[in-house]
Amino acid sequence: MDWQALALSVKLASVTLLCLLPLGLWLGRWLSRTEFAGKAWVEAIIVLPLVLPPTVLGYYLLVSLGGASPMGRWAAEALGVRLTFNFTGLLLASIIFNVPFIVQPIQRAFEAIPRNLAEAAAVSGLSSWQTFWRVELPLAWPGVLSAMVLTFVHTLGEFGVVLMIGGSIPGETKTIAISIYDRVQAFDLASADRMALLLLVLSLGAVAASFFASSRTIVRR
Amino acid sequence: MTRGAGALVVDVEQRHPMAVIGAFNCEAGKLLALVGPSGAGKTSMLRILAGLMQPERGRVSVGGETWFDSATGTFLPPQRRHVGLVFQNYALMPHLTATDNVALSLLHLPRSERLSKAKHWLDHVRLTTSQQARRPVALSGGEQQRVAVARALAREPKLLLLDEPFSAVDQMNRQGLYQLLADLRRELAIPIVLVTHDMNEASLLADWLVVMDAGQVLQQGPPAAIHRAPRNARVADLVGIQNRFNGVWDGPSQEAGFGLLRWTVAVDDAAIVRTIVVRDKGRIDPGQKVTWVINGDGITLLDCPAQNDDEFAAVVTEARHLGEVTLATLALAEHPEVQLHLTLTGPQRAQFTVAASVVVRLDLSLAHVMPLRNR
Repeated sequence: MDWQALALSVKLASVTLLCLLPLGLWLGRWLSRTEFAGKAWVEAIIVLPLVLPPTVLGYYLLVSLGGASPMGRWAAEALGVRLTFNFTGLLLASIIFNVPFIVQPIQRAFEAIPRNLAEAAAVSGLSSWQTFWRVELPLAWPGVLSAMVLTFVHTLGEFGVVLMIGGSIPGETKTIAISIYDRVQAFDLASADRMALLLLVLSLGAVAASFFASSRTIVRR
Repeated sequence: MTRGAGALVVDVEQRHPMAVIGAFNCEAGKLLALVGPSGAGKTSMLRILAGLMQPERGRVSVGGETWFDSATGTFLPPQRRHVGLVFQNYALMPHLTATDNVALSLLHLPRSERLSKAKHWLDHVRLTTSQQARRPVALSGGEQQRVAVARALAREPKLLLLDEPFSAVDQMNRQGLYQLLADLRRELAIPIVLVTHDMNEASLLADWLVVMDAGQVLQQGPPAAIHRAPRNARVADLVGIQNRFNGVWDGPSQEAGFGLLRWTVAVDDAAIVRTIVVRDKGRIDPGQKVTWVINGDGITLLDCPAQNDDEFAAVVTEARHLGEVTLATLALAEHPEVQLHLTLTGPQRAQFTVAASVVVRLDLSLAHVMPLRNR
């Protein structure tokens, strides 16, 4: 069992989720209530990481964030950080490939809230911030929860993008999914077995827990 | 109309996305009903009053406080208006109990005070303690409505708005809600604006009717006045005046203040039922085609044969006995195309069976004549 890889994966998933949740809430809520020309394009771009082969996504990220790219050069000169083959790059990639997982369920959840509830809240004297916390977020909670779980679990298991942008540097970019691949290549099937099983149980447990939690929320209404 | 303290004064105009144009006032303690078919702009008008929609031009003020004035660029958002709005489908928060729904409009108070105030208002609308602890899904339509009313009242509103409040409530609960509304009017002393498409309800509850169609106010006044004298055929249609007939205006009669009306079978059918004498306000040119109406109160049943110019023999063509009233349709004996509608109560209902012959007198002083507009 590669505990270091597991810890790195959990850290990556947590930080990714932490960065993405505010963005997902803002973007999902905004998309749920706004109509504009070109909305279909915005939604298509958000979903793109879902349908693109991870290696393709990883390749473009590598090209656009690498040291030779304008973005990579700017980051190195202005901020003094590298964006590839380290944790920062991995995090950046992870944030990008998880956008559909966080935005879509949140958008659907906010879309399902009747529009007149926000109006009723406004007439009751609630500011938009109070309406968000006291009305919209509780009602959208099952969707938000499943978005969080999906994002976390998906980060834990992502392989292609991680390999392309991060490589396999122990403690820095070698996540548990990479480690499993590594062990299989080294014919250490016993280790691979344990890690794969752990990932399986963890993923299944998290998804089941989120379904359970949201079904309970619905019944309680 | 003189404006007492607390009165609502509205004069707004909006062209897009849909037209909403109208001016009306409502005194504190009075109930104004906005009536009209769906799509007439009633709900949009209500949203303008609540601050959920900003019209292009005009003014809205309550009790001298300006809520909207396009001239000065004033627009108070709903949060700052102190308006109670009962939504058509109540718009209760599904994740909160009845108590918490009401407490939500009391966020400016400390939590314990919020709950006790919420309880006070829910008691006031006669919800039991166990009902108060339930979520909306576990309450009946009428109970949900009471929660919505309590939530609106908890705002201590300066204006109460009700959007089709009775549409989703069955007849039995409706009576209770009428009672609740009557009680509220007495205690609150604020203007109440009710939106409804049900004319009977509007006439029953309102002091002042504002008839809207296609985004415009067609006519306003006390319900009885509108029923007696609708401004035009469209208003007569909208307020559901059933006894509407056609005719041609023949000009003044010999008696001052009265004119001759040639009652015709239909707009395009010149066959004359009879020429009758009705009030003349001097507004109609001789030869003009007209629509005229008569209030149900202006039609009485006689026990003797028809003798005078205002008495007619008729045949019952339909009699629907609904509980304590009978809705009857009669056809004139000599002109069966012309139909009269009557609502009957009491023992006279017994003789009303289809094909029975009856005699009616029309009280022509209650007839109201309107020029037929060329469309």
